[in-house]
Amino acid sequence: MAEPTVLTVSDLTVTYRGRGRVVTAVQDVSLSIAAGRCLGLVGESGSGKSTIGAAVQGIIAADGSAHATGRIAIAGRDLTPITDPAWAQVRGRDVTSVFQDPMRSLDPTMTIGRMLNRYTGSAEASVAALERVQIRRAGEVLKKYPHQLSGGMRQRVMIALALAPQPRLLVADEPTTALDVSVQAEVLSVLREAIEGAGCAVLFVTHDLGVARHMCDDIAVMKDGLVVETGPAGDVIARPEDAYTQRLMASRITLTTDRMRPVGAPEPAVVASMRDVLSEQGRPDEGVADAWGAGDLEWERFMGRTAAVGAASGLTDVRLVEHVTRPSLAVNEVDKTYWSRVKGRKVGNHVLTNVSFEIGYREAVALVGESGSGKSTLLRIAAGIEKPDTGSVDSQGVAGEGTQVIFQDAGASLTPWRTVEELLRERIEHTTTGAGMSRAQMRALALSTLELVGLDESVLAARPTQLSGGQQQRVAIARAVVVPPSVLLCDEPTSALDVSVACSVLNLINLLRHSLGISVMFVTHDLAAARLIADRVLVMTGGEIVETVGAERLAQDITTDYGRRLVDAVLA
Amino acid sequence: MLYSPRRTLKRLERPTPDRPDGAWSALGMGEKLSLIAVALTVLIAVVGPVLMPYSAIIPSGEQLLPPLSPGHLLGTDVLGMDMATRLVAGMQRSLFAAVVVTLIAAAIGTLIGVVAGFRGGWIDSALMRFTDLFLAFPAMIIAMAIAAAIGQSLGSAMIGIIVVWWPLYARLVRGEVRRVAALPHVQAARVAGVRGWKLLWRHVVPAVTPTVVVTASLDIGAVVMTLAALSFIGLGTPAPAPELGRMASDGMKYFLNAWWVAVLPSLAIGLLAFVFNYAGDALRVMLRRTGV
Repeated sequence: MAEPTVLTVSDLTVTYRGRGRVVTAVQDVSLSIAAGRCLGLVGESGSGKSTIGAAVQGIIAADGSAHATGRIAIAGRDLTPITDPAWAQVRGRDVTSVFQDPMRSLDPTMTIGRMLNRYTGSAEASVAALERVQIRRAGEVLKKYPHQLSGGMRQRVMIALALAPQPRLLVADEPTTALDVSVQAEVLSVLREAIEGAGCAVLFVTHDLGVARHMCDDIAVMKDGLVVETGPAGDVIARPEDAYTQRLMASRITLTTDRMRPVGAPEPAVVASMRDVLSEQGRPDEGVADAWGAGDLEWERFMGRTAAVGAASGLTDVRLVEHVTRPSLAVNEVDKTYWSRVKGRKVGNHVLTNVSFEIGYREAVALVGESGSGKSTLLRIAAGIEKPDTGSVDSQGVAGEGTQVIFQDAGASLTPWRTVEELLRERIEHTTTGAGMSRAQMRALALSTLELVGLDESVLAARPTQLSGGQQQRVAIARAVVVPPSVLLCDEPTSALDVSVACSVLNLINLLRHSLGISVMFVTHDLAAARLIADRVLVMTGGEIVETVGAERLAQDITTDYGRRLVDAVLA
Repeated sequence: MLYSPRRTLKRLERPTPDRPDGAWSALGMGEKLSLIAVALTVLIAVVGPVLMPYSAIIPSGEQLLPPLSPGHLLGTDVLGMDMATRLVAGMQRSLFAAVVVTLIAAAIGTLIGVVAGFRGGWIDSALMRFTDLFLAFPAMIIAMAIAAAIGQSLGSAMIGIIVVWWPLYARLVRGEVRRVAALPHVQAARVAGVRGWKLLWRHVVPAVTPTVVVTASLDIGAVVMTLAALSFIGLGTPAPAPELGRMASDGMKYFLNAWWVAVLPSLAIGLLAFVFNYAGDALRVMLRRTGV
């Protein structure tokens, strides 16, 4: 432990001033990193972790909007945060950075070689720098522009660029968040090895505990601008002491998480929804939270009856039933090709090839694959947003009405100038259930659904722009289930969310699926989340379903190479 | 029950007010000034003529009195009509004509653009080729031809300008509609069962409106200029009607000994165009709140 300390942050406080409000982003934070060590700064959005990252890089704009106190020392040089004129000598020399999106942080007008040569001085040295980040055929890559490379390659180039000036400190701000899961694991190991070779200190900013454990020697957990816990990575992960860290750890989802019970620690919003469900089913239970905490709350307990109003039922009124035999969604031999013109010639891109599967009553099926595997197109076809070239989709089930979608970006899926009540009413109006309803009845139905997802009537009159991300996600879910659909299609509903919010969304989907008796199709790239919701997992690649696995023993039962790669990509 | 997790949670999660300070405070000093200037200009143009002591088309004093003469603040013209009265009346005419032209052009263009962009397919192709047809002609020439064909009057100049002006809106709106229709919230509304005109009206058009309004407000200035140019070359209503362009061109003959007869109407045209151009930016800031 004789390594010298490279970065020391002492009592750093950063406040932002904007339009009459002062926001404290970081409060009294002290950190230090020794050479050759990697410190993980873990926290949810708004915890101040990126502000610290920006402060030690000296890239917070000194335009008066941000104010800081405390000291930052880098490689023996003592600096005043934000305003010190010496930052210009530190930035890009002693401190370099790897950002989240390599497409935006690489200069699109320069070849990789031109960018690298500025630091290395010669083409040979640049080749060596690229080889250090395990890029084969480095000579060819040097002649390319950023847009000609894949996301993983770009991030490797970014790492090579960041290490080329031989910095004392490297700041990596969510370097793999924008990448595909299987690429993420590769890039992380490249980063790990390159850092070990370079011997610099690393500040690794991430929201993902799995990534932090994989990468870091030490971990600092942040919440609301404060560091709540620091320690060696193994200790913090295995024996979290702070209550917040414990909750964060509990919301982690792995391939061994219990599927039968809610994940994470009991959460007021979800507990409230559970009570609503139970009292509506005529068996109120005040002990739900305790049962959850004690680990004997199973999803089975929330089983409710299904509203049979689907087009195939032949009914015109709503009737609650115990069981349905007809499958909720049947996809038969669907093909889809997108055509585009490249230099005047028609080029076809086969997105889906002969895809068939069924989703049974009350069944949940996950479609798992990387971007470009065709899983999202399949969801859009199932939702009726797009038409298949050949083949058919039958979503005219007996249970529930039609298909509904929860989109990845819930905020963008809500029309910004319409109120929540109007958005929910629109769905109700266009169903058999809502056909004869008055305004007041629709309002009551909307309200009871909002309560079911943990919101109240103050939200009814609000516009989506007034709501937080978590609230928007809940409104989107409420719209999808206000009249229970036959199949609920979920398009990566958790990938843009913080771990704890993602956790409560997954719990909510599971709760609704059991209590409303609906089927779910869950599209995701995250096997752990897929396993939690789904009974069956379909692995997709290249527009085909290559494997169907039962969810319970997913990690053991998966056989295809591609499936195994996805399993390995789950960083536990 | 003293403690209910649900109530507590909901109280914490109250939606924040959308814009606590309102749209006005989002504006900078210059933008506020520009809106005030527009309001003043419109006020002068609307109520000014009523307040003026003279008639705009009847001589009321000696000929070619210079500005600051007693009783005639801005002087008189070659027939002895009061300049101030004629300018205010001219501004009213120009402004009225420009607003009407812009509104009609924007309405036609928006309608065609919305239909083309939303329906797509052959309807889109047909409507857009039709629009291209109009875009292919130089604006001034076609306006001159129409004004010449149906006689010299302000009305014919206005029709001429409308004919060449609407295609710009059709293009603009079609592009916006296509962009907005591909956004997730429109797809989500489609999945919720909203179709056809309802989908268009509720989920697409509100996102396009700010663009159209801002463009239209900027265009009022440009239409004032174009109308004045047509009037200047003799395609507006003939004298003694108080038209700024015609007044400027008639005044050219006396430019050397009575500069005000030509210069003052030109300044009035410039003022109108400038004020509306400047205010367009302020309007854009105010309408940005929808965030699409």
